[in-house]
Amino acid sequence: MSSFTKSAQQWATFARSWYLIDARMQPPGKIATMCAIRLQGKHKPIYHALSDVGDHVVVMNSRHIAFSGNKWEQKMYSSHTQYPGGFKQVTATQLHSKDPKAIVKLAVYGMLPRNLSRRTMMQRLHLFPEDDLPEDILLNLTEELPQPREIPRRLNEYSQEEREAFPTLWTPPEDYRRK
Amino acid sequence: MVAFRKVFIVTHHPKTVMASGYIVNRGVLTFGIHYQHVSRNVLLTHTREKKRWMKAYTLLMERKLKIEGPPPPKPRAQKPNWDYHAEVQAFSSRLKESFSPELLKTAFVNPCYIQSEQERRQALGVDSEMAALVLGDNIQLHRQGLVFTKSFLSDWCRASFPSLPSMGVVAIVAHLTSHPVVCLVAQNLAIEDLTMSAQFPVPDEVLHSTFLAVIGALHESSGAERAGFFLRDFLVTQLVGKDLFEMWSVVNPMGLLVEELSKRNRALPEPRLTRSAGAGTVLPLYFVGLYSDKKLLAEAPGETVLAAEEEAARVALRKLYGYTENRRPCDFSAAAQPQAPGLQSFSSS
Repeated sequence: MSSFTKSAQQWATFARSWYLIDARMQPPGKIATMCAIRLQGKHKPIYHALSDVGDHVVVMNSRHIAFSGNKWEQKMYSSHTQYPGGFKQVTATQLHSKDPKAIVKLAVYGMLPRNLSRRTMMQRLHLFPEDDLPEDILLNLTEELPQPREIPRRLNEYSQEEREAFPTLWTPPEDYRRK
Repeated sequence: MVAFRKVFIVTHHPKTVMASGYIVNRGVLTFGIHYQHVSRNVLLTHTREKKRWMKAYTLLMERKLKIEGPPPPKPRAQKPNWDYHAEVQAFSSRLKESFSPELLKTAFVNPCYIQSEQERRQALGVDSEMAALVLGDNIQLHRQGLVFTKSFLSDWCRASFPSLPSMGVVAIVAHLTSHPVVCLVAQNLAIEDLTMSAQFPVPDEVLHSTFLAVIGALHESSGAERAGFFLRDFLVTQLVGKDLFEMWSVVNPMGLLVEELSKRNRALPEPRLTRSAGAGTVLPLYFVGLYSDKKLLAEAPGETVLAAEEEAARVALRKLYGYTENRRPCDFSAAAQPQAPGLQSFSSS
């Protein structure tokens, strides 16, 4: 950037980074878009589809993703074994209980371009169901990306002072009986 | 759609051949259609017909080229349309400099040329008294030019980069007066065509000395200021895009940085790993920052931590000497203040 030697500048430009994303309480689709952009290399000004400039992305806590709405019960994942009568459909809950990495993996796979580079990019995606990452992955990491969704706090996570300080419309009298 | 046949009319009588190179619709003549469907595949040449000997000749010449290789280069003086006196005048007016013609012509004459001319005359048996070779050498002008060039370039460097040490100035001046750079400039200014030397193509040494002799001639004709502007416009501009350490090879940048900081009474640099990527892979990247008294001096990337540290030292040196890529560019405008070498020194960067 500012007056590096030409060789050092080139090395830094074409080096492959390792990004970390924490998927706890995040919608898997938003996680997947962030992954797909960085796996293709579209976040770099030197991007070209044929240039293989994608980075590595490590997703942790994929077991703790959070679908919005009723998608856990309504979203169906289908597959076919190529044998007659081999069409299988499972809900997101069933798939997630079988393999906690599958939902994020399928989401990212569907967001990558449909060409031969897709498989290489999927090899650079590293999914972990919990937050215990192996040593060699931890060594390689460059940066943690901010989470796409702000996690709302549960009522028991607010302190007593914050709860009292929250504005109320009216305070019910002592003998008020709720139905 | 009218059906028509495309016909190429070929006869041996040149008068009946149609517009050469076009395939013409014969329907024009028969049906009186006033449009021509012409094919543009064939090249329009200004010959009347295709020459039967052309193909054989070109093939023979190509075969000859393959066997013998390309013809040796000929000096411009031996090619047609060459008038030496006119060319020398054109040289001075093209550069908008007023050279004194005798000095300029003397500047182009090299001692090797004089020697070879005398030998040629002796070999031809020409009496040396009858046709004396009255040509001056350019050695004197060359020496003058060299001295002036070195002093001007050093002064310019010191003025533009006040914090650059003398070793750096010497390195930059040596690079600018080196054979590759000077010969590139001389070739593109047509000095190579005007040089009179024994060999062709003109050897680097000879071209280098001719260029400096031309500078000396300019210095004598128009004065130091004009010659200074000439050097600034043609030689100093060769620095564009060049990095400081490409010209000045520093073996131990960290040691030099420590010296510089201690001269300026600042704390010694402490290297810290700023960021890294792929540390466990075969293509790692490390960014190392150098901190002096907890303030960042420079940050630079490298393949290993040591390489990154060395690179950071180089970047810090570039920042200290003011030779960064984002420095204020040199002022080449016509209204710029002239620099009297040695008298004034001001920072123009």
